Amino acid sequence: MLRYLARRGLIYVVMIFLTTSAGYFLAVSSLKPALLEQERIPRPTPEQVAASMRLKGLDPDLSPWERYVDWLTAIVTRWDWGRSPNGAFINAEFGDRVWISTRLFLASIILTLVIGVALGVYSAARQYKFQDRVITSYSYLAYIVPAPIAYFLVQLGAININESVGERIFFVTGISTPGIEPGWAQFVDMLAHYAVPTVAITLVGWGSYQIAQRQYLLDNVNADFVRTARAKGLSRNQAITRHALRVSFIPVAQSIAFTIPAIFAGGFFAEKIFAWPGVGSWSIDAISLQDVNAATATLAYGSVIFALGAILADFATTLVDPRVRVQ
Amino acid sequence: MSSETTAGPAESAGLPAERLHVAGLAAPSDAVLSVRDLHVRFTSENGMVHAVRGVDFDLMAGKTLGIVGESGSGKSVTSLAIMGLLPAAAEVSGSVRLNGRELLGLSDKAMCGYRGNELAMVFQDPLSSLTPVYTVGTQIIEALTIHNPGMSRQAKEARAVELLAMVGIPSPKDRLRAFPHEFSGGMRQRVMIAIAIANNPRVLIADEPTTALDVTIQAQVLEVLHTAQEETGAAVVMITHDLGVVAGMADDIMVMYAGRPVETGGVDDIYYNPRMPYTMGLLGAVPRVDVAEKTSLVPIEGMPPNLLHQPTGCSFAPRCPLASDPCRAGEPPLSAVPGSARHRAACIKSESLGADVDAQDVFAAPPVPVSRFDAMPREERSAVLELKDIRKHFPLTKGALLKRRIGTVKAVDGISFDIREGECFSIVGESGSGKTTTLLEIMEFHKDQDGEVVIGGLSNKQAADARTKSAMRRELQMVFQDPTGALDPRFTVYEVLAEPLQNAGMDRQAIKKRIMELMRLVGLQPDHVNRFPNQFSGGQRQRIGIARALAVNPKLVVLDEPVSALDVSVQAGVINLLDRLRAELGLSYLLVAHDLSVVRHISNRVAVMYLGKIVEIGEVDRVFGNPRHPYTRALLSAIPVPDPQVERTRERIILKGDLPSPLDAPKGCNFATRCPVFAALPPAKQEKCLSLEPPLEPVTPSEAARTLEAAPGPSPDQRFACFFPDGQLDEDMLVVHDTADHHAP
Repeated sequence: MLRYLARRGLIYVVMIFLTTSAGYFLAVSSLKPALLEQERIPRPTPEQVAASMRLKGLDPDLSPWERYVDWLTAIVTRWDWGRSPNGAFINAEFGDRVWISTRLFLASIILTLVIGVALGVYSAARQYKFQDRVITSYSYLAYIVPAPIAYFLVQLGAININESVGERIFFVTGISTPGIEPGWAQFVDMLAHYAVPTVAITLVGWGSYQIAQRQYLLDNVNADFVRTARAKGLSRNQAITRHALRVSFIPVAQSIAFTIPAIFAGGFFAEKIFAWPGVGSWSIDAISLQDVNAATATLAYGSVIFALGAILADFATTLVDPRVRVQ
Repeated sequence: MSSETTAGPAESAGLPAERLHVAGLAAPSDAVLSVRDLHVRFTSENGMVHAVRGVDFDLMAGKTLGIVGESGSGKSVTSLAIMGLLPAAAEVSGSVRLNGRELLGLSDKAMCGYRGNELAMVFQDPLSSLTPVYTVGTQIIEALTIHNPGMSRQAKEARAVELLAMVGIPSPKDRLRAFPHEFSGGMRQRVMIAIAIANNPRVLIADEPTTALDVTIQAQVLEVLHTAQEETGAAVVMITHDLGVVAGMADDIMVMYAGRPVETGGVDDIYYNPRMPYTMGLLGAVPRVDVAEKTSLVPIEGMPPNLLHQPTGCSFAPRCPLASDPCRAGEPPLSAVPGSARHRAACIKSESLGADVDAQDVFAAPPVPVSRFDAMPREERSAVLELKDIRKHFPLTKGALLKRRIGTVKAVDGISFDIREGECFSIVGESGSGKTTTLLEIMEFHKDQDGEVVIGGLSNKQAADARTKSAMRRELQMVFQDPTGALDPRFTVYEVLAEPLQNAGMDRQAIKKRIMELMRLVGLQPDHVNRFPNQFSGGQRQRIGIARALAVNPKLVVLDEPVSALDVSVQAGVINLLDRLRAELGLSYLLVAHDLSVVRHISNRVAVMYLGKIVEIGEVDRVFGNPRHPYTRALLSAIPVPDPQVERTRERIILKGDLPSPLDAPKGCNFATRCPVFAALPPAKQEKCLSLEPPLEPVTPSEAARTLEAAPGPSPDQRFACFFPDGQLDEDMLVVHDTADHHAP
């Protein structure tokens, strides 16, 4: 297993290196931060702009190859991912952003999975009954409605509650109230900020797991081995939960492992709408601000997360399915 | 009608409830399982399907009931109804009593107390019947836990080991931790049996337990079932379509047709004195592996009725050659046959039938077709196919990027044979013996192949360009196993048959004429050419497949398991057709089949393959009548014969284990690891088997004369590869069931 992980890891390191390098060349040849500097008032001279860029390691006069070599050397030797045109250090910014994204999505991912899989099982056991129809219709609706609209609807709902109570219970945007005292008050404030985004992301997210889990379970409910389990003396529901469920979870486990990282790296709408400045919104901002190093860093982060997801998916499959052997 | 039987005419004519009452009272008190007037109805999109229409039987402790019928006869539905495993939408009525307690109408929860405890079941497909994600041990222990909550973990594990040992799984303690995918099909079926007998059931239902298995494995599993029955004393319900399988095992037989029992009785009554035309047809439709005499099989024309509509008369009447107007007037009740206490048949003409009425006459079996080549000595006929030292080795590699060769799978390892005009040559062997690879190598026809293929004088070594290949394809055509999968569902029959003709460059008018000709040739109505394959039955689809193969007038037709997907009664018709076509058109066949009875019936010559090699080859009656190689002997002895007396007394060779992986094949004789002769040899002789590969050598004329009375030629056509064909058989692998005492009344 360890050897397998090491080998897969090595392959992904090579892949990440290639995508990131390609991304850097693309960014460095298309993003021109110097142009934005010239819109400042008073307008700096081209020499001043070039000098300030050179100080931040973003010398526009160097060829893309030279800049790539410098950039790569800095990462390899000092783990320094460079600076933004506004002078900020990528390393410092990056840590904050990842932490914000993680905090925003962690709770909702767990809730999405648990609720989605549980509802999938519940609705499969009641196929074509009223409960199943309601739940599955909702899931398809969640599929169809664009995420930003759903997020706005949840925000509106939270505002309505605030207004009808006459007191601000939920914060619909932001991470925390500045200047609040540590302790109980801070904890309540955190919950008030967390509730709306978490509920919104969860409500939109569970649909796909519910549909997948329901479908895979239904494929297995009438399987021969479930009939064998019933012939042993298990009731229908026992046979389904003990035998069909685990088998039907195999493909779901794989898809879960793949989607977790995708959410971490790309919750652009949620971050924007709820004003949590995480990795997703940062990557879009980087492009509009002509920020070569930030854009490349988010790309590298996305690749790493994807590789982790792929390894996690393999790992999950081996864990739940003994037929898959790792060599 | 005899008056001494319990079934009077008044009873059978009465209302179901009344009948149930009378029959219930008449049920013997010592029956473990008694089923009365069982009906099962399913609602489908097209209406109500009445799948089981009144089944009654009593099963005594320790006895075996065989339920025989074709697909759709309601035999599996009956067993699932007894187990309470039918889907909730099924409507079940009647009565099922286990030791006097009524099971029908119990809730799922209440049934759980019986299922797996007093009532156990073994299913047909062992590959899908075990949960893939749990170990075999977990699944056996689960069966113990459900019904013995107080049992300690150690006790359960010990019992699981004991069960695995009982069903013949080697090193059971280690195998407990193995997953189902690490077992072969036969081993998985053993595990299924172990699970079923875990709690010493009173009734064990086996639903086609060996249908998915090879013959040698089938023999092993039947043996295990026999042991299981002896160990637990359970009554067994054996459901099968194969009259051979139940002949040796069953005490009573129930023949089902269209959801109803049409004949019931003791095993000898049914096999030797059938009183219902359907039973007679079924018995006549199966070829026998132990009989050399060639007669045509009994074909039962038509299809079983659609159970959406309640039959107005006898459900078999539309297919019955004896049917007359009274037959169509009302469904005949199951009434007693005079002269036997238990024998009952649902036929108004049962009294005029019996042991001395020949099914051949009843069903008007066609005469045995005679080919113009039959009179010609084999040497004078020209060869249509020759294989010379064909080999197909697959490298077995390890590693993803840098592949290391860790071994070779010798799928086909140097086989040579030829097929002459007008003859049928068969290849038999277990799955994995290389039969299909041999066919693929013939179809491949490529210059770089290892070995030479000569088809109709065209050799793959000389010129294997596109022209030669297409000429070769006209000489050789193929019929596939699954007739449904082999026909494009979106092509009409006309398009299916026209395609090869268009490829051959025929014009429209000629194609049309040829297609009509082909339809008549294979016994289909020419005006059905515009139908789609799904509008035909399985047997008719296979006829379309045969017509397609014959379209371009080939000399040789390759038949890959042509009848194994078909029901027995339909199979007979297709076999008769193949026989007739061979004679009429002077065709040659290369047949691959696992059913040795079919092979014996249709072939002239046969080759027995084991792990990529031919171990015995020759004229079919010689090889089957006097098998020399221990593997051929074992293979033949594994085939159950639809004759209870023969089955009860004959000696069986039960091979140990499965076909070994080709990687483990020994240097000398491939078969040594499972050979019953090898096991009994002294070590000095064993050494020879292990180190030297036995060559394929002809049977000496003196040997042939000694064993076969009528040995005509000086050099008999039979060769085999074994050093010690006359060696003693290992006694552990020999089984004789003396069940004569079983049948005391």
